[in-house]
Amino acid sequence: MIEVRDLRVRYAGRLAADVPELDVGAGECVAIVGESGSGKSTTLLSLLGLTQDAEISGHVRVCGVDVLAASPRGLREIRGARAALVMQSPQSALSPATRLGVLMRRALKLHGVGRGADRGGSLDEIMAESVAAVMLDRTILRRYPHEISGGQAQRFAIALAIALGAEVILADEPTSALDVTVQAEVVGVLRRLREQRGLALLLVSHDLALISTIADRVLVMKDGEVVESGPAARVLTEPAHPYTRELLEALP
Amino acid sequence: MTMLRAERVTLGYAGRAVVHDVSLDITAGGVGLIGESGSGKTILARAFLGLLTPMAGNIWYGDQTLKKADMRKFRKDVQPVFQAEALDPRMRIGASVAEALPVRGPRAARARVPELLEQVGLDPGLAARRPHQLSGGQRQRVVIARALAAGPRLLILDEPTSALDVTVQARILDLIASLDTERLLITHNLAVVRRLCRTSHVLFAGRVVESGPTRDLLADPAHPYTRALRDAVPKLGGSPPQARGTTEAVPAETGCPFRLRCPLAAPECERPPVLRDVRGRQVACHRAEDVLVT
Amino acid sequence: MTSPGAEVPLRRSLPRIPDRFAAFGAVLIVLIVLAALMAPWLAPYPDEPHPLEGSLPPSGAHWFGTDQLGRDVLTRVLYGGRTSLSIAVSVLAVSALGGVTLGVVAGYAGGWIRDVIMRVTDVFLAFPALLLSLALAVVLPPSVNTVILAIAVTWWPWYTRLAASVAASIATRPYVDAARCLGVPAPLIVLRHVLPNSLTPVLVQISLDAGGVILTAAALSYLGLGAQEPTAEWGLMVQQGQTLFTTNWWIGTFPGLAILVTAFAFNMLGEGLRNALDPRARTVK
Repeated sequence: MIEVRDLRVRYAGRLAADVPELDVGAGECVAIVGESGSGKSTTLLSLLGLTQDAEISGHVRVCGVDVLAASPRGLREIRGARAALVMQSPQSALSPATRLGVLMRRALKLHGVGRGADRGGSLDEIMAESVAAVMLDRTILRRYPHEISGGQAQRFAIALAIALGAEVILADEPTSALDVTVQAEVVGVLRRLREQRGLALLLVSHDLALISTIADRVLVMKDGEVVESGPAARVLTEPAHPYTRELLEALP
Repeated sequence: MTMLRAERVTLGYAGRAVVHDVSLDITAGGVGLIGESGSGKTILARAFLGLLTPMAGNIWYGDQTLKKADMRKFRKDVQPVFQAEALDPRMRIGASVAEALPVRGPRAARARVPELLEQVGLDPGLAARRPHQLSGGQRQRVVIARALAAGPRLLILDEPTSALDVTVQARILDLIASLDTERLLITHNLAVVRRLCRTSHVLFAGRVVESGPTRDLLADPAHPYTRALRDAVPKLGGSPPQARGTTEAVPAETGCPFRLRCPLAAPECERPPVLRDVRGRQVACHRAEDVLVT
Repeated sequence: MTSPGAEVPLRRSLPRIPDRFAAFGAVLIVLIVLAALMAPWLAPYPDEPHPLEGSLPPSGAHWFGTDQLGRDVLTRVLYGGRTSLSIAVSVLAVSALGGVTLGVVAGYAGGWIRDVIMRVTDVFLAFPALLLSLALAVVLPPSVNTVILAIAVTWWPWYTRLAASVAASIATRPYVDAARCLGVPAPLIVLRHVLPNSLTPVLVQISLDAGGVILTAAALSYLGLGAQEPTAEWGLMVQQGQTLFTTNWWIGTFPGLAILVTAFAFNMLGEGLRNALDPRARTVK
């Protein structure tokens, strides 16, 4: 679903991210780990063409679309529909005076979901089903953004992605603003979606322990470069690079 | 004798109570106050710092309540360490630290500021910089240097490392552990508490639900919430974190505040539980014995 | 959040006034101020009547023409700038000083102190500004000082409001709490931490307001309540020129243009400052 070769992102000539290889298949979860300034978020954003004022070179395919060569229109087709971005604080991205149900319906209509026979069911059914898939109650659709908690907002963001027919979810620190008990819930939802629907997950996080419980493969980034990559079990138990070792030792 | 003690304090803003009837001593060896958002941990910290007057109950400073205590002495004795944003963005580092010195004036500052910066592992040359020119870890060190400038006996640390990268966090924790002061540490991070606090109190919905030696609390929680909290923390190579029950339940008006989320909730939980001694700690749960067994 | 579905669009398309405008505004203001300051040297003629040269149209000798008393209009526009600009500076200084002081105190102190200050502020805001200025200007003898006083009285409450809301938010910052924990006395906290960190939005507002003050002062003078003959003041000159507009258009037009250009320059600077300093107006990544 995601295929990256020799991706280089530069801001004003300075190399912000250099990723030689990154693949995420359906049903897979890959994590990019690093500290602030490591280039992990830059990498994620560049996969959806969301970096501004950056020079990008290399080869990036998301859901079969060549992102770097795609027209703005082509980008819009994958962005938000087939590939969804989940950010750290989704609440700030929800329009405060709109009920969540209205918001979701508008988004679906905008993308032509539920029109014709492309996907089964009416809009209402799709909405109900996607909300249930993230273990939220249907009544949430009648609420306003400020009436829900951070964990609910994050799961609603994921529900929206599913309703829009996302095949890939790119998540940037999706749980680091949440309490640990709530984090467990959101991670649980992501795992379920991946197992039941074959969703591909690309996760950016600073939390190695969290990553170790969910990711199949891991890329460790430092100062824009990938210092180590491989199966999560191997990288996190037998780290080859001193920096990975340092990260693991720093775990409290 | 404990230096600072909360006695049945109820705290809130604008007449609405957020923390209910909490009593706790700041004892030697580090005290942890563990809680998630909405638990009331930060407002409790503000009360301990004398920034907020309790709606009911008292904060005792030695043998006097804070209302009557000598605040000059108190301010010298008790200092906060907030997150790295606790620096005035317009002030140079040197001026920020100098402001905290008990003896003010340029001569005192010239002598003490470099010493303090070195004590927290910073180059004294940074004194001329402004906060935005420093890294997050460096800023947090300045915040600590500022707190130390007053020569405090007790530091009240409110999430001192939660905004920092893990490698930086580890070094700041080393620094805090090396300081020669008492500490009250407020955090949601169990690992940090384990490292720095001999005693811990777990706060849920504005009430203390479990208190005791940190080691026992985390190894063998007696309150279902403490257990849920511990189990939710991902462990390296461990099984995925488990969400026990729903986290969205609103605290109940009466009865146990945790009962709507509690996997062990029983009819007796409709009555409010009181803190009672169970195996060397205090727990507010009717079913504490069952929690320890399961 | 999934990008296109959500209500919040990517903010890259927000219209922004380029900083070049702000720079242009600033340069313009500097030129206008310099011109006013150096009026005695720049002015081609002394500012006095020449009965024989009344009402001459613009020419090589008199670029802006002369008025009915034979005074060179360019000379009077330059001298008038001194009056108009000093009115603006005085009004803004007085109202900002008073307004910001009260506002910062209200915002930091909160409680009944804030309530009292804000109620008083509301009372002043309840009167239509021009009407209040007019009433004052009618009661007091017409002069430049009257204009300053009349406008300042209606102007300061806006700064109080603005400063109070900013200061209230600054007062909750950890560094203010930290200062309180150090036992720094409240007046020092306000002076050292709250005030400097509250000033940015106020400065932006002041530069946006400068144009408005000049226009209001011009309006009062135009109504005959401000500067009096023979003082050169832009509003007054427009008023005198107005009755003669059909025959001697230049007498009112050039001071009018001066008002327009000055107000415009301050507005450009203010907008630019606001865009540069207001995080909401900035693009996000």
